[in-house]
Amino acid sequence: MKLAIDRYAYLDSPIHRWQQNCKIVGLLGLIFAFAFIHSLILLPIIIITTGIIFFLSRLPFSYLVSRLRYPGWFILAVVFLLPFMIGETILFQWGELTLKLEGCQIAAVIVVRFFCILTISLVLFGTAPFLSTIKGLRSLGLPQVIVDMTLLAYRYLEEVGEMVNTMERAMKLRGFDKHYFKYRNLQVLARLIGSLLVRSYEKSTRIYQAMILRGYGYQPPSNKSQKKLVLNKNHYQDLAATILTLSIALGLLGLDLFFTIR
Amino acid sequence: MHIPDGLIPPSVCLAGYAITGGTTWYALQQIKKDSNPQANIPKASLLTAAFFVTSLIHIPIPPTSIHLILNGMMGAILGYYAFLAIPIGLFFQAVMFNHGGISTLGVNTVIMGLPAIAAYHLFKLREKVSRKRELWTKILAFASGAFALLLSATLFAAIAISTISPDLDAATERNAIYVSLIGYGIQAIIEGTVTVMLISFLEKVKPELLNI
Repeated sequence: MKLAIDRYAYLDSPIHRWQQNCKIVGLLGLIFAFAFIHSLILLPIIIITTGIIFFLSRLPFSYLVSRLRYPGWFILAVVFLLPFMIGETILFQWGELTLKLEGCQIAAVIVVRFFCILTISLVLFGTAPFLSTIKGLRSLGLPQVIVDMTLLAYRYLEEVGEMVNTMERAMKLRGFDKHYFKYRNLQVLARLIGSLLVRSYEKSTRIYQAMILRGYGYQPPSNKSQKKLVLNKNHYQDLAATILTLSIALGLLGLDLFFTIR
Repeated sequence: MHIPDGLIPPSVCLAGYAITGGTTWYALQQIKKDSNPQANIPKASLLTAAFFVTSLIHIPIPPTSIHLILNGMMGAILGYYAFLAIPIGLFFQAVMFNHGGISTLGVNTVIMGLPAIAAYHLFKLREKVSRKRELWTKILAFASGAFALLLSATLFAAIAISTISPDLDAATERNAIYVSLIGYGIQAIIEGTVTVMLISFLEKVKPELLNI
């Protein structure tokens, strides 16, 4: 199982240099602001904002297209019927089939919001190593249990994936053909999953013992002088970028409210 | 069964995060009551990775194929850890494969996580059974696997269809939910059957895995 999320995490761009915890705050603010947009008039603004952020990240366009393919088809399948089902203003009629203005507008809002949020998410998680993202979330107050579980699950994801690939290959070599739906095949797949769970469980016991030997759970005496935060030029730039992004998010929310009331 | 970004109104996204936050807090309180919660973290993490990988295995149902959700099974094995494992799995899916989304992570956790907790309590009823324990384990395993999936499917269909547009006719909404539940009903039977097979396998091979 190949995890492609860190493929472009080590490029050099202003977005890559933006400290991950500040980036999480800024871009998550923008993502939620995009989710609030209802007004059609604001759609070009969020497309331009997304375009600028994506351009600054220097991520390849082909990467974005490859990540959009599967969820893009899903969202198109979901909104496909809306222009024919919602609204009263008829744009086009062909027999029983009527294309309605309001339905088209709702579909446009959903598709643009989806595309922009997905692109910003890709920039947020694709421009820093995944471990930096987890550390950033920890510094923002994510509970330690969840942080530990995420780090461990991420650390062993590839290994467990490789384990299942090996087991599937071994089953295939012994003549198992999973392309038919029958009770026996379901039983074999259940045993495969069961074996995977047992192996993971046994591995986790050894991992826990190794973690204990390395001091897991031991709380060192706190050294307050180490915790002092010294702000340098880079920190100010990170904070400025976060404030700018949050201002854009708040501005978009204000504009959306204004156009909705009007 | 993941709601993508941009599909549902922001108020629903925020409500999803609020319910997830509250339930996560409650799950953490329950976990703290364990005799050694720290020892269970690596176990729950590795099983989270295993369940995540398992969800990528496809089962052919001609003319298409399905992938297992196994949130009921997660609940049965992991208990309250399942409510921490599910958002982690969903976060991985959103970040690595763009399935689901960041703004809808809370809603998707509610859709998958609350049925997992319900399945945990349902499966736990076997501890109260003294006669025909093996049979009751199978019945409760099937019920927790199938019920968790059906509950998730109902929540998913209800949230996705009823919030997509206020202009959508109520009767159309209801019909769309019923139609989508027919497909998920078949999957629920498969999930229930696989859960029975898995629980029977684990009881024979590694019974302590069922008592994390």
